[in-house]
Amino acid sequence: MRFLNIVLKKTVTFTVFQSVIPKGTRKCLFLGIPHKPPPCRTLLLSLGMRKEDAHPLPTEKLNLDEWKNIMKSSLPEEASDEILEREGDWDSSLTAIRELVEMWRLAGKAVPESISEEQLKVLMELPTKSSRRKYLKHLAIKERFKNAKKAKKEKLKAERNDTLERPVAAEEQRAPRNSFFLTFWQRSIDNLHLWRAAQSMLFGQPLVFDMVYDKVMSRREMENTVNQLLETEGWNRKSPDPFHIHFCSLHADGPYHEELLKRYGEAWDKLLLTATEKAHVDLFPKGKLVYLTADSPNVMKMYEHDKIYIIGSLVDKSQQTGLSLANAKRLNLATARLPLEKFLHWETGAKNLTLDQMIRILLTLKDTGDWQQALAFVPKRKHEGFIDIQKKMELERKRKMYQFGSRTKNIDKPSAGSLTKGSKQKRWWEED
Amino acid sequence: MMLLRAFNAPRVLITVMGNDLLCPVIRCQPGVYKPGCFPLFTSPKFTAPENRQEPPASKDAKPIKKKGRAGNAIANPFSVFSAGAAKRRYELNQKRAGETTGIKDNVSKKDTISVPSKPLSAEEWKILKEELNMIQQFEDKMMAHIITSNGDINVAKSLLVFVAKENGIEYKLLVKYLALCVHQNQTSEIYDVYEIMKAKFKTLETGAYSLFIKGFSQSDRWEESLTMLETMKKTIIPSRKNYSDCILGALNKKKGNIAWDLYHEMLESNLVPSLDTLKAFFDTGKAMKDGMFKRELLKVLLYMRDNQIYPDEAFMQSIKSWFESIPGEDWKGCVSAVENSGRCQRCRQSLESIHLNQEEYDNLKDVILNDVIQGTDTFRKTTPEELRQFQKFVGSRPPYDIVIDGLNVAGICGRGCRSQILLDIVSHLAQQNLRLLMLGRKHMLKASGSWWRSHMAVIQQKADCFFTENISEDDPFLLYATLNSGNHCKFITRDLLRDHKACLPDTQTQRLFFKWQRGHQLVLPFYTPGKQVMFQPILNYDTIVQTTADTWHIPYDMDNVERASYEVPRKWLCLQRQDSMV
Repeated sequence: MRFLNIVLKKTVTFTVFQSVIPKGTRKCLFLGIPHKPPPCRTLLLSLGMRKEDAHPLPTEKLNLDEWKNIMKSSLPEEASDEILEREGDWDSSLTAIRELVEMWRLAGKAVPESISEEQLKVLMELPTKSSRRKYLKHLAIKERFKNAKKAKKEKLKAERNDTLERPVAAEEQRAPRNSFFLTFWQRSIDNLHLWRAAQSMLFGQPLVFDMVYDKVMSRREMENTVNQLLETEGWNRKSPDPFHIHFCSLHADGPYHEELLKRYGEAWDKLLLTATEKAHVDLFPKGKLVYLTADSPNVMKMYEHDKIYIIGSLVDKSQQTGLSLANAKRLNLATARLPLEKFLHWETGAKNLTLDQMIRILLTLKDTGDWQQALAFVPKRKHEGFIDIQKKMELERKRKMYQFGSRTKNIDKPSAGSLTKGSKQKRWWEED
Repeated sequence: MMLLRAFNAPRVLITVMGNDLLCPVIRCQPGVYKPGCFPLFTSPKFTAPENRQEPPASKDAKPIKKKGRAGNAIANPFSVFSAGAAKRRYELNQKRAGETTGIKDNVSKKDTISVPSKPLSAEEWKILKEELNMIQQFEDKMMAHIITSNGDINVAKSLLVFVAKENGIEYKLLVKYLALCVHQNQTSEIYDVYEIMKAKFKTLETGAYSLFIKGFSQSDRWEESLTMLETMKKTIIPSRKNYSDCILGALNKKKGNIAWDLYHEMLESNLVPSLDTLKAFFDTGKAMKDGMFKRELLKVLLYMRDNQIYPDEAFMQSIKSWFESIPGEDWKGCVSAVENSGRCQRCRQSLESIHLNQEEYDNLKDVILNDVIQGTDTFRKTTPEELRQFQKFVGSRPPYDIVIDGLNVAGICGRGCRSQILLDIVSHLAQQNLRLLMLGRKHMLKASGSWWRSHMAVIQQKADCFFTENISEDDPFLLYATLNSGNHCKFITRDLLRDHKACLPDTQTQRLFFKWQRGHQLVLPFYTPGKQVMFQPILNYDTIVQTTADTWHIPYDMDNVERASYEVPRKWLCLQRQDSMV
């Protein structure tokens, strides 16, 4: 029977091959051929193979369910693969959720390819579906970055290897250069920075990071905060005249401390800054402290070199307004916010900036006292450029003159005009 | 007197303002008033659709004594909390701003893919793929397009054949194909895909399970959808859609018990059933004449009452016809509206009062003080010192009749001296011998262009005043002062107080707060200096599913009115037992 099949198949394919060559004229004739032998699988297959040039054929003859057969025939090996993959002695719920994550990945959702047991446990503890989805997405993005970085590194390494191998001959020929310095290594630069930092520890202006917000932050927010603190410290160290940084109310073994230790490792004990469990009000005279917060009613006019500025180390993704202002109010401290509206055409985004942006602004202010230069560190996406201060003042003066002249007529104009969006009238349902 | 009725003032308002004061106002703009609509939105454009929505109600309703315009105007006062108010405000705002609306058509995505109209062979697919020059994800994108354009299933099949030959079908693509099958109700195809997926993959993910549940529940193998639901439960809480599909499947096969078990399970895992699910129960209820089913359905109505769920129009019809189909109880249902006095137009019965009972009231007062004002940190909204001072101030005086949010009221009209407006309103209220409390901030006392010292002095004579720090919030104080004065006390602000509602700990308290707010907030929608002060009416009945021995009153959402979360419906379904009427 099998032999017969093969023979049949060969003859049929042969006839097909033959009949394809003379197009057009013999087409109709040829159409009848496949029907002649008793219907069997091979015949149908061969029909499918030559469908392309058989446009006039009615479409019903396409074997639409063929994919099912293909899927079924390829079952055994794939299934066994799956089972092999999943061996191991996990407890059942973790395995189940791991499988679910794997299936989500197959379904094209944003989940990481590999997920550790620790991450799985975190995932299990999350209460809602959306929080789980977000966490998985976060892990997926993180993984993607990691992989991209790895790939880049490998590429660079390969390139370096290439260059190292090639110019061996050239290097031998190169004469010793007459140079004033030995190669200027990063170590020397680090030393310079450390000297400056040490000096600032003795004579520098204090800058306080208030670490009392551990209770109001989620795990992710805490990680982000410490990230920003690391960057902050870096910018400070590299500046010509660094601040003397104080981490106040930093409790040993608290969440901040734990995370900082995790990130800095051994370097934590060698950092040239003051970390203390004491609060800022215990360290410094109250009159000199200024709490920087975007909710403050007072706008900072100029940078004062004898004041001690406090920045709340807080990443606030859940928009808990007035947190740091409440802290300042409780301790009866002076508060201030950056004059963002005065200098920038604010476009979008919250007015609270990240910690590293804050310190760069403050460092620039300290060095130059120039607001324009300092506020260049405000992210560009948040504003539409700087306000022309000169022009604005001129306009203001003109308006004042006009108002003075027509004061008797419209006594209420100034109030409406002095609002930034005076032209847009408030409707009654708009909240104050 | 007739004119007075035309204005449609509730009793509360009349006590506040005095009857005689209203007449001149109405005479001012006689032509503008349309029945059933509050004057704030009187431009013809906005009143017209409102009136068009009325007929179904008046068709069913008994002709109650109508005297021209006046009779019609009794029902449906239009307050800030009525369904559709937010939408109108938005539209009005857009119109005033002179912006052209509706130019929102998205820039059409470059729609390069066109779905073939008939099945293609593998070679043709290959050519198409090359033509589109889209090597990656060609199959996925094509399948997605077939789904969105609700294309022929055979086209999808032929695509699968092509992919199977080319590089094997991935899970992703299978799920998409499944979605198409489920969408087009191709039961046998769903079975086949199920067999393949079960054999090929050890487990499935939630998306595929949801689709299978949906597909299976409507077929003969509906019981398998229940086992799939069980499987899902091992790793994740199924969505309300999953439950809904299973319930619909069970109801289709008249398995009431299973459906109700699923329903209770869903409620236990804190899912809110969709209106469609509830509606399906009522639809099935017509055919099921057992006592258990009836008891459960009445429980559903009480659940809707407790959670302030309002049916839509179709659902309302199902409820109505279910009631009318109960054997032995001669229910008669009709669409109705409720008068300002709180009487149903149809059966003349008074609805539940909006006022909280004593226990609820005390509870709310505590919660406002603890969660809204003090919160986790008193310093965030005020200072403990200020709070103590305020409590002492409020405690030392007899209860107030009206508490005024000074800053909010003063900002009512964009132009004009603020203190002047505030003075106008305060003196208007003072004329009626009401005890007033005006809350403000300290900066109001500092003389400036908009705050005149002389005005403020007069205000302080006519009303008790309390000024908070400039950086404190004044709204929480307003709420506390009103609650502290007792049930008769009202407050005036245009603020919808949503942020304060959000501070409350649970949804139950939020509902309590909203109920109290509807019953006690006086809204001054607009004000022109020198003109009469007019408040929006306060409705003194509660908009909630409610019952007495032989009636049910169920508020429902009209299909063509968008209701915001801080609004309540205006239309009612009135159900009454005929035997008791006769």
